[in-house]
Amino acid sequence: MVETENLKIGVYICHCGTNISGNINIDLLKEYSSKISNVVLVKDYKFMCSDIGQKLIKADIESGIINRVVIAACSPRLHEYTFRSVCEDIGFNPFLFEQANIREHSSWVNLNDPEGAFEIAKDHINMAVAKASKLKPLKKIKVSVESSCLVIGGGIAGINSALDLANNGYKVYLLEKNPSIGGHMAQLDKTFPTMDCSACILTPRMVDIARNQNITLLTYSEIVGIDGYVGNFKIKIMKKPHYVDQIKCNGCGSCITPCPVICKNEFDLGMTSRKAIYIPFPQAIPGEYTIDMENCIKCGICADPNVCETEAINFNDKPEIINIKVGTIIVATGWDLYDPTELKQYGYGRYPNVINSLQMERLLSSIGPLSGNPARPSDLLVPKRIAFLQCVGSRYYREGGNRYCSRVCCMYAIKQARQYKEKYPDCEIFIFYIDMRTFGKEYEEFYESSQREYGIRYIRGRIAEVLEDKNNNIIIRSEDTLSQQLIELKVDLLILSCGLEPNIDSDKIGSLLCLQKSSDGFFMEAHPKLRPIDTLLEGIFISGVAQGPKDIPDTVAQAKAAASGASILMAKAELEIDPYYTVVIDQLCSGCKICQSLCPYNAIEFDDYKKKALINPVLCKGCGTCAPACPSGAIEQNHFTSDQMNSIIDIIKEDN
Amino acid sequence: MNSKTEEVLRKDIRKSYNNKLIQKFINAGLEEIRACINCGTCTGSCPSGKRTALRVRSAIKKALDGDESILKDKDIWFCSTCYYCYERCPRNIPVTDMIIKLRNIAVEEGYILDNHFDLAYNVFYKTCHAISAIGENNKKWRELRESYDLPSLPPTVHSYPEAVKECQKLMREVKFKQLLDKIKKKKKKDNKNIK
Repeated sequence: MVETENLKIGVYICHCGTNISGNINIDLLKEYSSKISNVVLVKDYKFMCSDIGQKLIKADIESGIINRVVIAACSPRLHEYTFRSVCEDIGFNPFLFEQANIREHSSWVNLNDPEGAFEIAKDHINMAVAKASKLKPLKKIKVSVESSCLVIGGGIAGINSALDLANNGYKVYLLEKNPSIGGHMAQLDKTFPTMDCSACILTPRMVDIARNQNITLLTYSEIVGIDGYVGNFKIKIMKKPHYVDQIKCNGCGSCITPCPVICKNEFDLGMTSRKAIYIPFPQAIPGEYTIDMENCIKCGICADPNVCETEAINFNDKPEIINIKVGTIIVATGWDLYDPTELKQYGYGRYPNVINSLQMERLLSSIGPLSGNPARPSDLLVPKRIAFLQCVGSRYYREGGNRYCSRVCCMYAIKQARQYKEKYPDCEIFIFYIDMRTFGKEYEEFYESSQREYGIRYIRGRIAEVLEDKNNNIIIRSEDTLSQQLIELKVDLLILSCGLEPNIDSDKIGSLLCLQKSSDGFFMEAHPKLRPIDTLLEGIFISGVAQGPKDIPDTVAQAKAAASGASILMAKAELEIDPYYTVVIDQLCSGCKICQSLCPYNAIEFDDYKKKALINPVLCKGCGTCAPACPSGAIEQNHFTSDQMNSIIDIIKEDN
Repeated sequence: MNSKTEEVLRKDIRKSYNNKLIQKFINAGLEEIRACINCGTCTGSCPSGKRTALRVRSAIKKALDGDESILKDKDIWFCSTCYYCYERCPRNIPVTDMIIKLRNIAVEEGYILDNHFDLAYNVFYKTCHAISAIGENNKKWRELRESYDLPSLPPTVHSYPEAVKECQKLMREVKFKQLLDKIKKKKKKDNKNIK
């Protein structure tokens, strides 16, 4: 270790073009820096991050003129990694380098005050030098990476990620809470703007999942526990009992007719019924049956050998716990439709002829409740006049609403309107909107043709209230904002274009994995622009609507990106992790466990034998929550030790 | 096109937006008005608008655009403050407060309905009661009270005429009286007020 008397600090000041030098006098700053104790060398350059700038630093370190590096430039978020690599390249410990942010924190925030900017820049350099004097060489941690991935959620996002990884040669566990994979895409009739049959493009992928040797399909299963860290996650999964032997069952379906229990079919959003023994939909993967024990009356009819020839029914089936070890996790938990019941003025749940968009989708579907001949729920007559209301629950700043735009509702409403018009060319269709947002490839053209070719009428106004007459017709009250007229329009059917919300189980998954959420409730990405599928936790990726509302093409693109992100990690046998973890000083620890209760990453264990806290350096993210909370001062954080932080604080104290 | 026709046509073209009205809303802590997306929920919800010419969204829009003609518009006085618009606005704008503020600004500028002015000046200021029980016209209230064995006048300034002066002093302190005087002067000077 380098002793204090030998400290030789080099300060490098970056002009960043004119970003810094345009506002701060570099010459004066150099002169000031050279007077700070232990500074032996001060240099400046137009762009320190450039090749030439980097060579400058390398040469000075190699010749032994300096043994600590301070670079006064932009935010460490931008170039800390760059300068660390510079040190590493020549075998110099990269943790003996410190970056002072004199661009964002000095120059940019004081654009009209060059003198103020200069004063702050001085402080930043002073503080960085103080910390550099106390820096200690640190070593990165190496961990091995398991070559397998857990994909949570069997919708179109999870399916695509799983297939890509499996085809790349990695072992994949695809977890789905429902008895079949397919997700919401399986419920859709057609996809915009190409009008492809949704099931026809989805089911081949589902079949691929079932056939792929590298994929273990875990349907009707839930995560109950998670442990470990990047490269080595240990997952505890509960397989819910099907009460039907999944190996013996051949999916013949002869149990359906005899089953006397009729319950709501959730796949058709309660518009049809199913039996207590069921498969969710005809193309379900896997195609074996499940008994819904919440509704089953255990009459035993299905267990009769004359009914089930393979004798697959097993009322004594128990939940099964399995443990798996994976290197990476992809979270593709998807969405739920916004429930408009609370918006009383629209009458959803009260008036039978007000339905939500997913119900409309099922009504339009050729395998839906009405075999693709939509009719209205109250009397099964064909509606001659229908209306769609956009932004239901979306762009809604009141309690119980979502502030964000759900991005798909404009397009699916146009699509449903077109489909309806194709089935019933004489009908009249109104779409009530605030803004039509048709931003994707071929989307605007789709919108235009819905007006020109199909004659769908767009009314700019959000429906204010909905009434019902004695024939269950719907009376809409609104303003046509473009003509500034009040409207009172009688329609046969009203479809509420509801927005997308995070899946109801995403809270549970999120807290198990310690994932962060953005203000909209969806999982938060590590960086909104440059790391859209990474999370802040290494080894865990998000894809599809779990990250935010998106349409199918975007979901598939993101699913492939997540698969790629996971492959990059798994392609390496070993991973290096920055050593910013915290360390417990055993002699000081009193074993109070306060730190353990505070750690957001479950990184702190308790050694029952020694009665001391123990921090797992790989799980620790260096957030610093535990260190100041420790009443005995027994926790030190690498690279942010009390000694180092105090030296910075001392500078500020002196200054004032 | 001759230049005269052109001039007539160009008269309808907006050449600028002013912030004068919006600024008054902002100063009153009602900057939410700027978040309006003109969805029309308020207008569609308005029970008054079904019977009168009040169009809430258009009024808000005019205020946002700095169109001062809205202050002279008697329609803003037809809001019954039922709060439907307030409850339903997707942008959480306190729409009813906006209408009330719009009325305040209108009054400050001297635009007020004759009945309202009458009430404010001849009833409220003079008697310190919004609904007065004195005078020949209000005999019925006194009789009603008496029929319930109550004193004919309530125990307010009506029973203590010496307090009227104090109340009026208060109204002068908060510049209410001065506002009324200003309007009265203006009303006399030009009869261009709301018909």
